[in-house]
Amino acid sequence: MIYGSLGSEYFLDPSSIIFNTGRYIEIGLLALALTFVIINGDIDLSVASTLAASAGVLAKLFESGVPIFWCCVASIFTGLVLGLINGLIVIKLGLPSLVVTLATLALYRGLTQVILGDGVVANYPENFVGFDQRLVIGGNPGLPAPLALFIVAAIIFYYILHRSNYGLKNIMSGSNPSSSNFSGISVNRVRLLAFALSGTVAGICAVMITSRLGSTISNVGLGLELLAITAVVLGGTDIFGGRGAISGTVVALFAIMAVREALVIQDINGQVQDAAIGLLLILTVLVPQIRSYYVEKRNRRKRFNEAQSRT
Amino acid sequence: MTIKLNSKVTYLFKKREFGIFLFILILLAVFGTLEPRFFRSDNLSAILSSVGILMVVGAGQTLVIVTRNIDLSVGSTLGMAAMVMGMVARENPDFPIFGLIVIAMIVGGLCGLLNGLLVSYGKIPAIIATLGTLAIIRGAVFLVSDNVQIDPNDVPQGIINLATTSPIGIPWLLIFAFLSIILVWYVSSKTLLGKRIYAVGSNPEGAISRGLSFNKITIMVFVFVGVLAGLGGVLYTARYATINPADVGRGLEFDVISAVVIGGTNIFGGSGTALGTALGCILIGILSNGLTVVGVSPFWKACATGFLILAAVAIDNSVRKRQEQNFLLAIRNQRTVK
Repeated sequence: MIYGSLGSEYFLDPSSIIFNTGRYIEIGLLALALTFVIINGDIDLSVASTLAASAGVLAKLFESGVPIFWCCVASIFTGLVLGLINGLIVIKLGLPSLVVTLATLALYRGLTQVILGDGVVANYPENFVGFDQRLVIGGNPGLPAPLALFIVAAIIFYYILHRSNYGLKNIMSGSNPSSSNFSGISVNRVRLLAFALSGTVAGICAVMITSRLGSTISNVGLGLELLAITAVVLGGTDIFGGRGAISGTVVALFAIMAVREALVIQDINGQVQDAAIGLLLILTVLVPQIRSYYVEKRNRRKRFNEAQSRT
Repeated sequence: MTIKLNSKVTYLFKKREFGIFLFILILLAVFGTLEPRFFRSDNLSAILSSVGILMVVGAGQTLVIVTRNIDLSVGSTLGMAAMVMGMVARENPDFPIFGLIVIAMIVGGLCGLLNGLLVSYGKIPAIIATLGTLAIIRGAVFLVSDNVQIDPNDVPQGIINLATTSPIGIPWLLIFAFLSIILVWYVSSKTLLGKRIYAVGSNPEGAISRGLSFNKITIMVFVFVGVLAGLGGVLYTARYATINPADVGRGLEFDVISAVVIGGTNIFGGSGTALGTALGCILIGILSNGLTVVGVSPFWKACATGFLILAAVAIDNSVRKRQEQNFLLAIRNQRTVK
């Protein structure tokens, strides 16, 4: 943050901060939904491809003359169906979600390419595009619609994960699946719901990204899954499941945003920006490990000294 | 006699590699009948050289996945090794070819060492650590190269020749590919080290309690895959002659992991063979080339690969379940007999 504000006087300008969020809100929403999947001990690598396939369906329906509202509904529904397919394959066939979603990552992206081909779908109606430019609360700096949506979504997901029955079941089945099963939680249903949730959110993000960009091509959202997973893990959710919080994911998203925007303002290559995010990811996991190592070492020495002085 | 023969045949059919082999034959027949140009020698050699690069990296990845880890950074590592090698060659045109190959392998090995240290001593799950280094090493390629690509006339002819010429009629590229598969086969089935690698993969706690150094073996497999990715970087340069910092090896990790998984290596560790991986690489190479030659839109390629992975793991899983059931039944039967 400091680095960024040194780079440009516009960095800490509130309106620039708020308007730059538009690009990250899709990542943020995907990360919120992925938090549930990862807490279950699963992973969904296919979110970005699900997003692309939903956007493809939206674009194709729009091209054939369906009203834009129903296109959006179909897009979200497609996301839900694709998420359910992921979940059903993982649960009914008992396969590892890492492999299944790696496969559907390719499968859904391929479907998008088959649906859209090389073409570009554009010419969306005026009242549909530019969703990210609209203000929910007017004035300067104002509150743009995506940020408002994200805040609402974060609050809803917070309540689901930390205050509702489902959230508790989610964390329990992630931390110990077999004992949760014995205590009457249908672990498989909890996991299926999480996959469906992540698919549905990907469908919603497809609508948002189409509205923001105003056009659809088959590589839409390529590589978003890495940023979304990075946000979740950065936020302290255990990749092996059982632990995690919505607040962590939200904070991590803003950290990613700050790092990226700081580097963008310095005019640094996109690959190097990704490298910085990767470094951040490794450091957030590594630093606590190193700390606990030294704490343990000190404790051991203390115990040793105590034992020495006793004798 | 008939029983013996019968059991041998069923044994062959039960072998997982045989299934992939059959599938490859079917694919070959289908593509060959649809489009006779598929069997032309230039097309076959194009398939073989892309399969060769996959095999070299896949051989290393097999051992990593056997130890319950995964290396997502192989594409970036390959890019880093190729880039450093290309820059050395550009500055010193007279540098010996052998030296260039060694440099690429050392650079790859260092990237692998970084991964290995993060996973073993850093205690970071491999999928997270290598997701991070995937981005970090790619960024480093940009910083090292200053975003300038290596042009074909800066690459020594000796390197380019690796893809086409050779002493015994097979290009060096394929010789390297076979050597790395054979090396992994030899290590995994004939040496004590191989037994240890599989032991750590199938039961880490048990292996540690029997005195195996988990950290040492983890670092070793990561360095190994890094070195092979470095060699892959040499072969990539030999084949494409241009080293572009954004393109070199991008997305390779997906093809490599697909090939290893299709080849029957269990993603949760403990089992997997070099032969299976080699067949998986061939399958993916034939599939992606064949679809293009037959005239199917290349867009279907991603669909087909995804479907193949799903089918491979689903079949694997059902076979494993049945084996477990048979095993349990056999134990129960023994008890009742007693």
